[in-house]
Amino acid sequence: MSVTSFLNLTVNGITVGMIYALIALGYTMVYGILEFINFAHGEVFTIGGYFGAIFLTWIIIQPGMPFVLKITLIILAFLFSIIATSLLGETVYLIAYKPLVGKSSRIGPLLSAIGVSIVLQNLILLIFGTTPITMPVEAIPRGFFIIGDAYIRHIGLIIIGITCISMFILSLYVKKSRMGQAMRATSQDIEAAEMMGINTNRIISITFIIGSALAAVAGILVCMYYGTLKFNIGFLYGLKAFTACVVGGIGSIPGAFIGSLFIGLIENYSIGLKFNLLGIFVALVFLLGTYYQFYLLPKKAKAGIKFIAPLFSKREEEKGSLVTTEKKTKKDLMSMEEKEMAKKAYYFGPLLIFFNFKKKNPSSFVAFHVRQSIKISFFNLFVFITMILMLFIFPNFQISSQWKDVVTYLMLILILIVKPSGLLGENIPEKV
Amino acid sequence: MKILRVENLTKRFGGLYAVNNLSFSLKKGEILSIIGPNGSGKTTLFNLITGIYPPTEGKIFLKDDDITGLRPDKIAHKGIKRTFQTLRVFPNMTILENVLVGMHPIIEENIFNSIFHPPIMKRQQKEATEKAISILSFFGTRLTGTRLHHPANSLSYANRRRLEICRALASDPKVLLLDEPAAGMNPKESLEIMDQIKQIRDKGYSIILIEHDMKVVKGASNRVIALDYGEKIAEGTPKEVSEHPRVIEAYLGKKVAKNA
Repeated sequence: MSVTSFLNLTVNGITVGMIYALIALGYTMVYGILEFINFAHGEVFTIGGYFGAIFLTWIIIQPGMPFVLKITLIILAFLFSIIATSLLGETVYLIAYKPLVGKSSRIGPLLSAIGVSIVLQNLILLIFGTTPITMPVEAIPRGFFIIGDAYIRHIGLIIIGITCISMFILSLYVKKSRMGQAMRATSQDIEAAEMMGINTNRIISITFIIGSALAAVAGILVCMYYGTLKFNIGFLYGLKAFTACVVGGIGSIPGAFIGSLFIGLIENYSIGLKFNLLGIFVALVFLLGTYYQFYLLPKKAKAGIKFIAPLFSKREEEKGSLVTTEKKTKKDLMSMEEKEMAKKAYYFGPLLIFFNFKKKNPSSFVAFHVRQSIKISFFNLFVFITMILMLFIFPNFQISSQWKDVVTYLMLILILIVKPSGLLGENIPEKV
Repeated sequence: MKILRVENLTKRFGGLYAVNNLSFSLKKGEILSIIGPNGSGKTTLFNLITGIYPPTEGKIFLKDDDITGLRPDKIAHKGIKRTFQTLRVFPNMTILENVLVGMHPIIEENIFNSIFHPPIMKRQQKEATEKAISILSFFGTRLTGTRLHHPANSLSYANRRRLEICRALASDPKVLLLDEPAAGMNPKESLEIMDQIKQIRDKGYSIILIEHDMKVVKGASNRVIALDYGEKIAEGTPKEVSEHPRVIEAYLGKKVAKNA
């Protein structure tokens, strides 16, 4: 494995991640406001791709067409698909979710979403059959760069560009505009927002429209990237995008972006790299772990603080902030001896069990740090063994591509164990 | 001049009358307090006026406009704003943004404007920010200065109450409904908020106030209505109502009322 193919994998990973990000936004925005998972979103994405491909097939891009005309037609296809898909997304909301949201239990809209997903998938199957739809060859940008022996397609870079731009515009829109303000207010407290004169029905509709429009863009881009689109591809992409939301912290737009990037890269690295290169990433995790165990956590213990940030979620930190005053007063209640003891706990880790450490010091403060130390020691040990295995024992082993999803989901579980609210912390309304 | 009129308002939850055949009116520029023991239907009344629930029977008029059964955001646009008993500021938005959200009824925005952001919008936004700051400075430096850009969840309980009042005032409502504005404040702060409520009234707002702190009620209100089991049991000046035998009975029980 050379450095150049590493570059190749990185670009591919980012490209796939960007596609996930475009889909993930729909999930995360809807979840932020209505607190339910719009399972039909994956199918909306597929249909968006179908609309684009059909439009371009209909108008038949000719081989000899001038470049400008071609670009115009492609942009028209995007617009057509965005409008049609937005209408679809809105219709789905009006028919399947609106009558249920807020009225029945929380499981109601969720089941409805799964139902809609099945209906839409079968609808595609009914109309187009099982043969995948293909993008007209002329509509796909076919150029590529060659750097060393890595080859990077233009379309990949276009996908990255489009996603970054739409991401930027969207976050600016949500952050700055009055409509965006209303959107954030609605996601935090829908009833209070209504009292402030915000038409929340309209805000929810706009959320669905934006989500569907982005999914349509993603659909066409995927169709251009791979050339074809199958009727059931939306399920897998939707699931991955939703996973990305959870990894990044559901309800937050930057979270969806980071999470998607993360998933895309993991997918590509895990199957593309041999163990000796993957081991380097594990080594980085190991370094971080040892930093926590032997520097950061002992320091906190010495200062008399129960460890909170940043391994824990943002929400817990917020809850913690209420307790800080209590903690501050407690801080001085801890004797020097106890602090010293808690600090030492991290250096010895699980070995403490042999020393019967807990029995000698029944203080809850020390006990807390002992528990923490045991957790982090085992984590480090596990990472260390994995690192040794990967770097020195099976350096040439490579995971076959069927295991891609398994590896991705193992990583997801690992991340969620370490940080339950996702990388950037979840951002869901606090219910009163 | 009567600015808000409630006629024979009734709300039933199953067999329970939360508000029962209630009629009253609010004059322009007065503070009307509503008192009553817990569960007597005060907050339900606010929820009915602001449109969270449609009433089972009865009508609500704002001036001569029938607003019964309208959507909450429509009612907010007509000029009725409220604060909440359980604090409901938008926790992750800054203090300034909270007040700007409150201005929704007076600043129109369509999708075109929000995407293309023409200069007129920019000017409007700037004016809105200035206005928000001037409203916030009503409470001194508690909500302004560097705090302006802090998230609302960094505020203390009492300051969140003040922020809610600012947010409600942001769109110059005709009627302001305050749900226990002094709850969670110490005696000194309650007296302060009482004065401030009076100041708000003197600016020309008409206020309905729910409050348990009788000092605040007596000090601030022009008229008081006492509710029990959703029914009006007394109406009049604060002194009249607080001495009314049925009010004492409702708060302290029959036996005590007899002895008194």
